[in-house]
Amino acid sequence: MAELSTSTSTAAPARAAARTEEACKIYGKDQTEVRALDGITVAFEQSRFTAIMGPSGSGKSTLLHCSAGLDTLSSGRAYIGEVNLAALDDNALTLLRREKIGFIFQAYNLVPTLTAAENITLPLLLAGKKGDQAWIEQVIATTAIADRLKHRPAELSGGQQQRVAVARALASRPQIIFADEPTGNLDSRAGAEVLSFLRRAVDEMSQTIVMVTHDATAASYADRIVFLADGRIVDEMGHPTAAGVLERMRKLGE
Amino acid sequence: MLGTSFKNMLAHRRRLAATALAVILGVALIAGTLVLTDTISQTFSGLYTTVYQGTDAVVRAKAAFTGIQNSGAQRPPVDAGLVASLRTVQGVAADEGVIWGYTRLVGKNGQALGNPANGAPTLGSNWSQVAALNPFHLVAGHAPQAAGQVAIDAKSARDGHLAVGDTTTVLANGPPQPVQVVGIVSFGTADSPGGASVVLFTTPDAQRLVTAPGKFSTISFVAQPGVSQAQLARNLQAALPVGLEAVTGQQVTSEARSNALNALGQFNTLLIVFAVAALLVGAFMIFNTFSITVAQRTRENGLLRALGATRRQILSSVLLEAVTVGLLASAVGLALGVAVAAGLKALLAALGIDIPAGGIVFAARTVIIALVVGTGVTVAAALSPARKAGKVPPIAAMQDAAVTSTGYGSKQRVFVGLGVLALGAAALFTGLLAHLSSPVLVVGVGAVLVFFGVAILGRTVALPISRVLGAPLPSLRGVTGTIARQNAMRNPKRTAAAASALMICVGLVSFITIFASSATAAINTVYARSFTGDFIINSGAGGTGGVAPALARRVGQLPQVALASGLRVGMAKIEGGVQQVVAVDPKTAFGIFDVQPLQGNENDLGPDAIAVYKTAATDHHLKIGDHIPVLFADTGTRSMRVALIYGSSEPAGNYFLGISAYQANFTNQYDLLVFVKKAPGVSTAAALAAVTNVTKDYPGTTVQNEAQYEAQVEQPINQLLNLIYILLLLAVIIALLGIGNTLALSIYERIREIGLLRAVGMTRRQLRSVIRLESVVIALQGTALGLLIGVLFGWAIVHAINIFGTGVVSIPYRTLVAVVILAAIGGVVTAIRPARRAAKLNILRAIVTE
Repeated sequence: MAELSTSTSTAAPARAAARTEEACKIYGKDQTEVRALDGITVAFEQSRFTAIMGPSGSGKSTLLHCSAGLDTLSSGRAYIGEVNLAALDDNALTLLRREKIGFIFQAYNLVPTLTAAENITLPLLLAGKKGDQAWIEQVIATTAIADRLKHRPAELSGGQQQRVAVARALASRPQIIFADEPTGNLDSRAGAEVLSFLRRAVDEMSQTIVMVTHDATAASYADRIVFLADGRIVDEMGHPTAAGVLERMRKLGE
Repeated sequence: MLGTSFKNMLAHRRRLAATALAVILGVALIAGTLVLTDTISQTFSGLYTTVYQGTDAVVRAKAAFTGIQNSGAQRPPVDAGLVASLRTVQGVAADEGVIWGYTRLVGKNGQALGNPANGAPTLGSNWSQVAALNPFHLVAGHAPQAAGQVAIDAKSARDGHLAVGDTTTVLANGPPQPVQVVGIVSFGTADSPGGASVVLFTTPDAQRLVTAPGKFSTISFVAQPGVSQAQLARNLQAALPVGLEAVTGQQVTSEARSNALNALGQFNTLLIVFAVAALLVGAFMIFNTFSITVAQRTRENGLLRALGATRRQILSSVLLEAVTVGLLASAVGLALGVAVAAGLKALLAALGIDIPAGGIVFAARTVIIALVVGTGVTVAAALSPARKAGKVPPIAAMQDAAVTSTGYGSKQRVFVGLGVLALGAAALFTGLLAHLSSPVLVVGVGAVLVFFGVAILGRTVALPISRVLGAPLPSLRGVTGTIARQNAMRNPKRTAAAASALMICVGLVSFITIFASSATAAINTVYARSFTGDFIINSGAGGTGGVAPALARRVGQLPQVALASGLRVGMAKIEGGVQQVVAVDPKTAFGIFDVQPLQGNENDLGPDAIAVYKTAATDHHLKIGDHIPVLFADTGTRSMRVALIYGSSEPAGNYFLGISAYQANFTNQYDLLVFVKKAPGVSTAAALAAVTNVTKDYPGTTVQNEAQYEAQVEQPINQLLNLIYILLLLAVIIALLGIGNTLALSIYERIREIGLLRAVGMTRRQLRSVIRLESVVIALQGTALGLLIGVLFGWAIVHAINIFGTGVVSIPYRTLVAVVILAAIGGVVTAIRPARRAAKLNILRAIVTE
């Protein structure tokens, strides 16, 4: 752990692990045109935990998908590190996701036919790599799922499943982890558990995390919050607290 | 509810099309068979109606017995003198002695025309002076008027490049006969009667060459105006001596037609068997498709239930979908059946089975059977999924539709499966062993039950089989292999149903392959055991004709040849059964064939003697010197003395005669085969050259060594086998399509999982590989089960039942290995489309899809 904590979580101004420039995503045409993203320029700094918040339809999930190379922009650019995603074909994009990005979704995070252990190492297995065994063991220990490794997802609780998903996202030491409402399906206790793991990953492992959420408590685990509305960034907040976030949300809603 | 069903169907056009394909092909095969049968039936009706158009009555000898291999009633010829004495019978307007028999025409290039052994017959007849009794019309030249003149059918003229004025050769009784073509005839509007070749002689020539001097095959009569056919036949009958009969022209026509149709009966049975197999394969596919779509619609059906739809309504909506698919598919299959009929006809022609051409007959019966069977199978297969749909509780609307039914199969299911399996095996063996009136039906039901039994047990065995078959995948292909194996294992019920269709096909393929391979091996074994000569001169005739006995004499006199012995065949009724009886010359035959004499004397086979196979002798309690009655078609019942009991059933079968007994009891004297043994010290090449030098005077003959002769004997088996393989290939394609369909639906069901895999870094290539590997596991599973069943059936019939008398089971390993490899390739190919579709899925839609 000592080695991990040498890089500091407070280093500023940090280099961006991922960023977008004038990102636009437009659905439909003419009268039915919907601008899900309307010119967003944002950077997600390394080793920091960024939350993206906003009401339904604000474009927060679209921003995450486009930043992570799961979806393409209508115009503008998205970068992972210094790689412009628009320049990559499907295969290169897939390899990029496998090697540089970790994912945690709200639900259906795990392949039901694989064991927890296989799910954790899935991106490495797909790449035909063994991975750093010591690191993986540390991740498993941190997420407290060592006794569940041989189980299939159906035999795990919702919280355990999300912890396995967190472990998978961390296992390959990606440049950045994108989490889409990772606690949306969990009760508050299990949710808090998962969020504290994400927090520890940032603090102790220098992991970069971007998380979409609409839950103020979840957002309060982040270092920084980006608020979206109608496809635009409308506000930002550093070192948030749950109460502060709620207050800000209420203002934005007015 | 009705509206919902139709909207569902419209929304899933492609899925329905894939499902319907199996029904379409099955129905097409059934419809094609029926259309072909009807067409052939009508063609033969037309043919014989033309032949007997002006014939009001026929006088002929009473049938001695019905011949084997659909050769019809066997009767001796009638005396020519009878014609004059019957001319005075009241009501007779005109009469003519008619001759029909084996004659083969030689073309301009010296090659004998036609293939009487496997194709349409080659016939000789006499030119009728009575126009009403003559079905032929001259299209060129004139009728044969003098000895040595012939008229030939237009097809033979075309095939043999013969024109009026040409001289050529005919092969009939006696040595090859030089003739002059003076006329070319058509048969009604056709070039030849049903593809047969016909040589028309003057009556004296025909008697000399085709029947015997002073003999006619039958006598035809034309009635005076106002005299009915029945009346004429009655008048003639009153004037006939014992042993002859007079029948109406109508009766002769219908007898001839039904004979021709009987000959096609086995072929039709075969086609129907494969149509049933195709439909069974289709049923499994339909079951699978409906099961999956019903599972997919669990939430939707739950919602409908919550909104007040009754179980019955849900059930009927699924069944309605099945009825619609069934009706549409049957209709398409019906239309396709016409094409299938044409294809089958072409196929038969390509395989050497010539069927006369005729307009396509599309009977109402064909339409009804095709629609009822096609729709019935579809609805029956959809019944269980429909019931399951009805059982969906309203609460399902609110639950996440997790479609991970494991379905290993309950204990009861295993018992039912084993019960059905036992019942099927019992029926199968009863049909094969007990002497039933319709064994084919019992055997068929047994086979279907066995397949059903295995299919019921399928889901129980699918998991362990997939586990074993997929075991090497993880180490071979890493995590993609693991995922593929797990996917094949995750729904044993579905894997089993997809594999069952292929199982049926592979089961049939391997069974038939083993059966045919063992049949061929049986031929080889017996010939290798008894034949000690060097060459066989094959007359090329199929048992009705042959080559002049002079050939054997000439070859036998060659200094390069030690022995040449002709073999003749005929039919006789012995000990209650009609058999093919072989005759050989005792002076030469036993130097070439070792029949393993046990008792009696080989040289004692005189005109009144018969040789009996040891088993037949035991069965009928015969010993040397006993007399048994033998009924010959030409000479009636003779009392024959048992002169020899022998121990090798080949080439003679249960009984054989000496040549003198054959000459005494058969009108025609043809050698079917001539066996040759070269003189000691003469090289094979020198002997062959000498023999060939003689046989070139006998067109149509071929000199073969043992291997070549065996190959020719096996040829009909191989031809039939080819036909069966082509039909099975159709069924295999349906089965593979079924696997593809199942995969496509599974992919739809696993759409989120696929999205997840793609998101975390599975490349398109890896995803395609996962789906291909799953497909291969399913395909190999069906193949493995099919091989097991096929080999067991083959072993049971060849070894346990000993159908060929040798007990030798020949398992053609190479073919079976090829089947396995082809199944694996088929699995890969069928997965191409679903795999490509899966790889093209939009990741995001896959993830966010509800």
